[in-house]
Amino acid sequence: MGLADRINLKSAKEAMKIRSPFLLMMALLAGPPSVLWAGPKPSQNPKALVPKGNCAVCGMYVANFPDWAAVVSFKDGGTAWFDGPKDLFTYLLDLKRYAGKRNPSDITAIQVKDYYGLKHIEGRKAFYVFGSDVLGPMGKELVPFATETSAREFLKDHHGRKVMAFHEITLETMKELE
Amino acid sequence: MRAPIQRYRNILDFALSSLLRRKGRNLALICVYTLVIFVIASLIFFVQALKREARELLIQAPDMVVQRMVAGRHDPIPTIQAEAIRAIRGVEAVQPRLWGYYYDPVFGGNLTVMAASDQELAVDSVWVGRGVARSMRVNEGDLISLRGYGGQPILFAVQKILPEASELVSSDLVLMSEKDVRALFNFPEGLATDLAVTAGNPRELATIAAKIVELFPDTRPIMKTEILRTYEAIFDWRGGLMVVVLGSAILAFIIFAWDKATGLSAEERKEIGILKSIGWESSDVLLLKFWEGAVVSLTAFLSGVLLAYVHVFFFSASLFEHALKGWSVLFPRYRLVPALDAYQLTVLFFLTVLPYTAATLVPIWRAATVDPDAAMRS
Repeated sequence: MGLADRINLKSAKEAMKIRSPFLLMMALLAGPPSVLWAGPKPSQNPKALVPKGNCAVCGMYVANFPDWAAVVSFKDGGTAWFDGPKDLFTYLLDLKRYAGKRNPSDITAIQVKDYYGLKHIEGRKAFYVFGSDVLGPMGKELVPFATETSAREFLKDHHGRKVMAFHEITLETMKELE
Repeated sequence: MRAPIQRYRNILDFALSSLLRRKGRNLALICVYTLVIFVIASLIFFVQALKREARELLIQAPDMVVQRMVAGRHDPIPTIQAEAIRAIRGVEAVQPRLWGYYYDPVFGGNLTVMAASDQELAVDSVWVGRGVARSMRVNEGDLISLRGYGGQPILFAVQKILPEASELVSSDLVLMSEKDVRALFNFPEGLATDLAVTAGNPRELATIAAKIVELFPDTRPIMKTEILRTYEAIFDWRGGLMVVVLGSAILAFIIFAWDKATGLSAEERKEIGILKSIGWESSDVLLLKFWEGAVVSLTAFLSGVLLAYVHVFFFSASLFEHALKGWSVLFPRYRLVPALDAYQLTVLFFLTVLPYTAATLVPIWRAATVDPDAAMRS
């Protein structure tokens, strides 16, 4: 290879180096901004539960973590919000300490957020994946799912250790999550 | 209590009258100073406002766009793949999108033609963006003619002109029914331009993207965050280009300001000497000169920022919009939403006003500490 060729090759390589990030950038653009026009925005569902207040266990502000918010409703109309299912279980497994006068029989509903749909589901019927690589606001989490099949698939995708039903979660489980 | 205030008032009064005494010099200084602040502030406001618009625009964007690649280039994607993608866990919706570019030879611009997905649009009627309506000079109810793939003209009735609020996004947009898009471009049935994927939980997007690539190795999923980054990079890059150009202007100003501020003329030296000999203290002289500098730089800063605000938000940055934006010939004509970034204004303030004031004070301090007799003699 002659010197001229080598210089040509070098400058061609350099030209590529300069141009390629720009080309990549342009190629990454998924079309012009116009295709993003989506028409009038749909209104939000007014009935959806809106997280409010502080977590009844750790005291963190629940509205900052709407994707994880869990809630316990009581007969007297009161609610207790949590910034994740882990704190929900910490609360339920030691109700005396956190809820004071309230008994387990006072609980009317337990709701957790389904991981895939991000909608509230009945907590007692949900399936929880333990030991996955998805972290919640308080670190390791029990990730809730509406169906067992979705829990199994999540377990596979995110290297979870096991799928657990509501009643299988005990203080031992909580200790392992710490 | 009254005496110190009175003293400050007198000094400020004296500072203003001494500024007025050298009208020409100070006016020139304020003009150049204002111009520099104006250009830098315009740039900051403009890039900031554009970035914000882009960010707001992308809130509406789908979480992910899936494109099919053939030989490294974007190719139509079979709509049947949408079904397979919809079955992936975590995917909430998959919407095949049908869009393309149409070059209009009459006004030499590209239109974005898109199939309306959820709007009810009759065959042979279109909704057009404001930019299109302006260039083609059409109103609602008029007819427009587009050239089909075979060269034959196709007539469309303009049913609606898209609302002004969405002009940045929809300026060059022509919405028509899916059937019309296919007829116009000879786009085969069963294919779409790309697929818009919405995820129930945005946290799952990376997993979904990995599964899509596994399922269809010839596709490329593009995440919303990536699009956002790209837009920001483009605006930054263009803004950066302008900064380089501006750099020389700023440098010229620094030299100018340095020269004006630090070079004490013999006349000024004499003035300081006289002031000191009639009983002014060095601190009074410093205060006087500080006020002079502050009046000049604050006036220039405020008027520069004000002019930049008017330029960017009332005249849509008409001076350098061509350098900074432009997807096509059809520039959206819109007003940017005023956005003031306190942080950037503060930085601008500290980078211009403070150095200038400091630059004026050092030589004055040196002159003010010299014996008045020596100062007047020199």
